Amino acid sequence: MVTKTEENQLNRLESQVDNGGSGAWEYLCLVRKLKLRRSDKVLKHGLSILNNPSKRSALGPEEWTLYEQVAVAAMDCQSLDVAKDCIKVLQKKFPDSKRVGRLEALLLEAKGSWELAEKAYSSLLEDNPLDQTIHKRRVAMAKAQGNIPGAIEWLNKYLEIFMADHDAWRELGEIYVSLQMYKQAAFCYEELILSQPTVPLYHLAYADVLYTLGGLENLQTAKKYYTSTIDLTGGKNTRALFGVCLCTSAIAQITKGKSKEEKEGAQVQSLAAKVLEKDYKQRAPDKLPQLTTALKSLTLSS
Amino acid sequence: MGSSSGDLRYELSQNAYIKLVLHSLNHPTSAVNGVLIGRISPSNDAVLIDDAVPLFHSHLGLLPQLEISLMLIEEYFSAKGLNIVGYFHANERSDDYELGGVAKNIGDHICRYFPQAAILLLDNKKLEALKKSKDRSAVTQLYVRDASKNWKLVHSEGNNRFSLREPSANLMLLDYIASEKWQGIVDFDDHLDDISKDWLNPGLFN
Repeated sequence: MVTKTEENQLNRLESQVDNGGSGAWEYLCLVRKLKLRRSDKVLKHGLSILNNPSKRSALGPEEWTLYEQVAVAAMDCQSLDVAKDCIKVLQKKFPDSKRVGRLEALLLEAKGSWELAEKAYSSLLEDNPLDQTIHKRRVAMAKAQGNIPGAIEWLNKYLEIFMADHDAWRELGEIYVSLQMYKQAAFCYEELILSQPTVPLYHLAYADVLYTLGGLENLQTAKKYYTSTIDLTGGKNTRALFGVCLCTSAIAQITKGKSKEEKEGAQVQSLAAKVLEKDYKQRAPDKLPQLTTALKSLTLSS
Repeated sequence: MGSSSGDLRYELSQNAYIKLVLHSLNHPTSAVNGVLIGRISPSNDAVLIDDAVPLFHSHLGLLPQLEISLMLIEEYFSAKGLNIVGYFHANERSDDYELGGVAKNIGDHICRYFPQAAILLLDNKKLEALKKSKDRSAVTQLYVRDASKNWKLVHSEGNNRFSLREPSANLMLLDYIASEKWQGIVDFDDHLDDISKDWLNPGLFN
């Protein structure tokens, strides 16, 4: 997960470098550390270093890491010639390297040579059956070919072995949501909350999925998780505040005032509504009228 | 509003068109969606799409953010005499031409309030080819509901069913793409993450 400080640092460096300033290497290291996908910028700024002999030699042994980073970025931007050149340099320096072997297989993927890529990955896996990156490439290849059920199957197999991989659970949850398989998506977020109970994003995603599933019990649970998100984020998460209002309204429509919990529920909802209105007044005042009307319609129906 | 969707024309304004395509370019690795804003023409024979609001670039299939966004957008535009008249969707993969379940469900939902609503699906091949093809037709496919409420692709070559209001819209679009104007597009996801970001994108066409 990227922290706010890291995000600010990244944005600062990015605009600095984009406008012709220095700090390209710092930027590229940060992108690599945070595992971000900024392929067009990595390609542009990485190549400017690699094509400049003095800048390149100033990197020392890190030069090879940069070649690898630029190769992957080039493939993402479909600049396959650039990627090929980078890989050639690495092959020369590190013959018989498994890490370079992975890049070669990735290049096959980028070309759309799925069968050849699959062969390459299989043989790499023979020597190293627990290589997580290669297992994940299988999922990515299935997805890229439009074989979403295949991607789900590979991803589930992967998670049986590497069940602590949070990114994989998130990916699986997102795939399920895109297919409207909300029950399965809920399971993924439950796993994430179990292993990392203080990450508010998981509470929020879980609440969103439960709300989408609908039904009284799911709505009540969703409301609890929106509330826990609000707790974990110090009341600053707009989505969770809206979520509380939506849940209260939806629950009231089902129970039609027959439940005692609703009086409490109405309190939480009006608190959330107040926080939202205050925030909009301060930061988005021209959108305040629509917000007020929307919140009114939500509270009226509860 | 006497005509059924079978007879109606759909006309897409440049601003709506460019906004939606730029939004997809801003998020090249995810599916994105948006809503179309407009009205029925005074002659009752066309749906005029005057504007668009980009919605999300993640978790398109979740309800809470969709419900909030539709409420706020509807509220804003009804004061101007405009409605939500359709839905825009761009698939995650560039070679995916299927109108998926999420898109159809959202389209159905919009049809409840505006029965002649249409869905526009981004045609990635057409978009890619735009630089060389000098094609004047939109890089989107049009879908409308038939009598049995199934979404059907509308073929508009040779007829007038789907057109861009301004004939030079593609030239404008290419211009905006070249100057990387897609970088600043704000969608509802961005707004919910930071409410000071304006989903109306007021500075885009100045």
